[in-house]
Formats: sequence, C-alpha cells, structure tokens
Amino acid sequence: MLTDNAIMLKVKEGDLDRMGLLFERYHRQLYGFLFHMTYKKELAEDMVQHTFYKMLKYRNSFTGTGEFVHWMYTVARNVLKDEYKKMKRAQLHDDVDNISDILPGGVHTGDMYDKKEAARGLHKAMEKLSDEQREILTMSRFQELKHQEIAEILNMTEGAVKVRVHRAMQELKSIYTKMES
Amino acid sequence: MKCEQYQDLFTDYINKQLPAADKAAFEQHIAACPACAKELKAFQQVWDVLGEVTIPEPSADMPMRFNAMLANYKASVTEEVSVWDKLKGQWQQLWQWQPRWPMAYNLAILVVGLSAGFWFLNGNKNADSEKMKTLAAEVHELKQSVMLSLLENPSASERIRGVSYTSEIKHADKEVIDALFATLNNDPNVNVRLSTLDALAGLANHPEVRQGLVQSISQQDSPLLQSAIADVMLKLQEKSSVGSFRELLKQKNLDKGVKQKISKTISKLI
Repeated sequence: MLTDNAIMLKVKEGDLDRMGLLFERYHRQLYGFLFHMTYKKELAEDMVQHTFYKMLKYRNSFTGTGEFVHWMYTVARNVLKDEYKKMKRAQLHDDVDNISDILPGGVHTGDMYDKKEAARGLHKAMEKLSDEQREILTMSRFQELKHQEIAEILNMTEGAVKVRVHRAMQELKSIYTKMES
Repeated sequence: MKCEQYQDLFTDYINKQLPAADKAAFEQHIAACPACAKELKAFQQVWDVLGEVTIPEPSADMPMRFNAMLANYKASVTEEVSVWDKLKGQWQQLWQWQPRWPMAYNLAILVVGLSAGFWFLNGNKNADSEKMKTLAAEVHELKQSVMLSLLENPSASERIRGVSYTSEIKHADKEVIDALFATLNNDPNVNVRLSTLDALAGLANHPEVRQGLVQSISQQDSPLLQSAIADVMLKLQEKSSVGSFRELLKQKNLDKGVKQKISKTISKLI
C-alpha cells in the first residue's frame, strides 16, 4: 500500500484523482474533528469538503517532509479559523441543546441514562472551554492523536502539549463540577 | 517529583502512552498518595464519559460530493491553463485565425447572396450558374476548413462546435472523416467524443465510416462511449461489429452496466 505521503506527492505532481484515496482514508476522521469543533453536522461536512478542496488547490505547499495527516490538520484548522471569523461563537454553538441527539441511544437503564446525562453535561462544559482548549482536547481524546503528533500540528513542544491537555481537562472538570452544583 | 508533576502525566497514563519506567514510578506514587489517586480517578471518569459521546454518522453522499468537487476542480484547472494560453497568444488568436475563418465564411455567404441577387436580376443564366457553382464549392471548402481548425482548438466547447459543423457539410471528404476519427479516438474530453460519435453516425452511409466506427470500439475506455457506440451499431445493424464487441467483453475492468448492454447488443445483432 502506498503511504499517505507518497500519494499526496503524486497529487502534487498533477495526478489529482489520487486525492480520492486520501479522502477515502481520512474524511471520517476529519469530519469527527470538525464536528467536535462546531457541533454542526452539515457545517462539519462542508468543512471537510472545503479542507480537501484547499489541499488540492494548495497542493504545492505540501513538501513531504512532515506527515500528510499533520498537514491535513493544519489546512483544516485554517478552514476552521475562517469559519470562526464568519460566525460568532454564540451562533456557532446554538444547537448544543440538541446534543442529546448525538449521544448513544438505546435502552434507558439507570447506568446508561447516567452516562448519557453525564456526557451531555460534559459536552456543555466543553462548549465553555476556549477554542484552543477544546481543540487540543478534541485532538487528544477524540482524534486519538499522540502528544507528539499534536505537537507537530500545533507547532509546539511535546511538553507544552502535555501541560495544555492536562489544563484543558482540569478546566473541563471544574466547569462541569460548577454546572452540576 | 511533586504531585503536580505526576498530575501532568495523567493523560499519558490514561492513554497508555507512558513509557514503562515512568509508569512504574507513577503507579507507585498513586498508591502512596491518596490525593493524587482521587484526582486520577476523577480525571479518568471525565475522560471515560467523554468517550461515551458518539458523533452523528457523516452523510453517505460525502464521497459523491467529493468526486463532484474534484471533477469541478479539475475542470477549473484546465480552464485556468487555457485562459493562460489565451492570454499568451491573445493577439495571434484574436487576429490571426479565430475570427478570420468565421469572418471569411460570413463574407463568402454575403458574396453568394449578392451574386444570387445579381443572377436573379440579370437573368444571365449560363455564365452565372457556373459562378454560383464555383462559389458554392468555395463556401463548402471554407466550412470544412473552419471545422478542421475548430477541431484543433484547446477549448472543448469550440471543438464540439467544430464537430457540429459536419452536419452542414453535405459531402464529407476523407480529410473531414479522418479528422473526426482522430477526435473520436484521441480527444481527452468525453463530451467532445460523444458529439463526434453522433456526427459520425450521421455519416454512416460512407462505408469507411462504418468500418472506422467498428475499429474504434476497442479504443474507447469510457463506459459512456462504449454504450453509446453499442447504440449506434445496433441502429446501423452493423453485424461486423460483433467481433470487436466480443473483444471488448474480454476486458477485465469493463463497467458492469456496459457489459450487460454489450451482451444484449451482440445478441440482437446476430
């Protein structure tokens, strides 16, 4: 199997159709990230398309020295930044109350219900984090990226990432506790 | 290490990213420090509950939308290139040949009209009917030249225009037919190839056109064209195409729909 980098370099050389392979491999992961950053399904889907469009358009900026995935996140973060500029955060997150839609459904046994409630609360708490904290937490928890990978994407040291993830978790916990009481 | 430093390792520990040596020291500390143990437990809970959240499935049409975007993008890139070409050669393209042929064509038609008027007014039949014939022949030749040069145009829509001119040419000569086949077999744009196929189907009374179409079957790799050519062959009842279609059926990557269609076409032709 060709590596992501090899495929992207082919795209860069002009074999644009190969981008389809990378879309196949990464659109779900990217969608997950963008969903957590916006909580809007359609918007997140649009932004996935837009990210891939930008990767096509700016394919020459891919050097192949770093991993393709890191570059993809860098492009996606720029798309996100533009989107944040377009709409105020308040508007961006106006359907948090629909968050229960996104939680695991099924039988409402006590335990399940508690977890569902807790997840709902935590998600509301996540809304209150700063964009930076929500982003780093999303990458670490939901995208399951390694600290070293996040460090490359965010262009900081691995140590700084660790501290930030930890702080974001603490912040989240304290917001959540405040909301509960 | 202080408690705080151990707490910075929580995420690594939960993610199982902690190196074995650090892990042992970490667990030792947690076992000895109730405050850190409590903190870790709370941490783990928050982490786990976050994992309970599933995100809605992305729509199934995402890959389709991506493909559409890719196709659009590719089209816009070729457009960009041709815009650049146009800019580069604008002067020549504008003044050298592009309007020259159509203008000459229009002029010729004007001349024909004027001569026809003269002819009617003067009633000088013999001499002028000779002239008329020559003029008509010249116009015909001109049409052919316009068509042939349009087929060379970098823009796909111009090439389609060129192909459509053939319907106006009554007696397509070998040069025209050869140009059309070159387009049918080599043009990068499917739409151009499809209209060329249409134009050639209109010229099917020429035996060499029918023969060329049969030969072209094996050269088409687009499912659209493969099935369009099957339609044409069926319409023409061209039995000699059966062999070429059978060859085509042997191709491994042949589209399923096309395969069915061709099998049907063969059975109808025999």
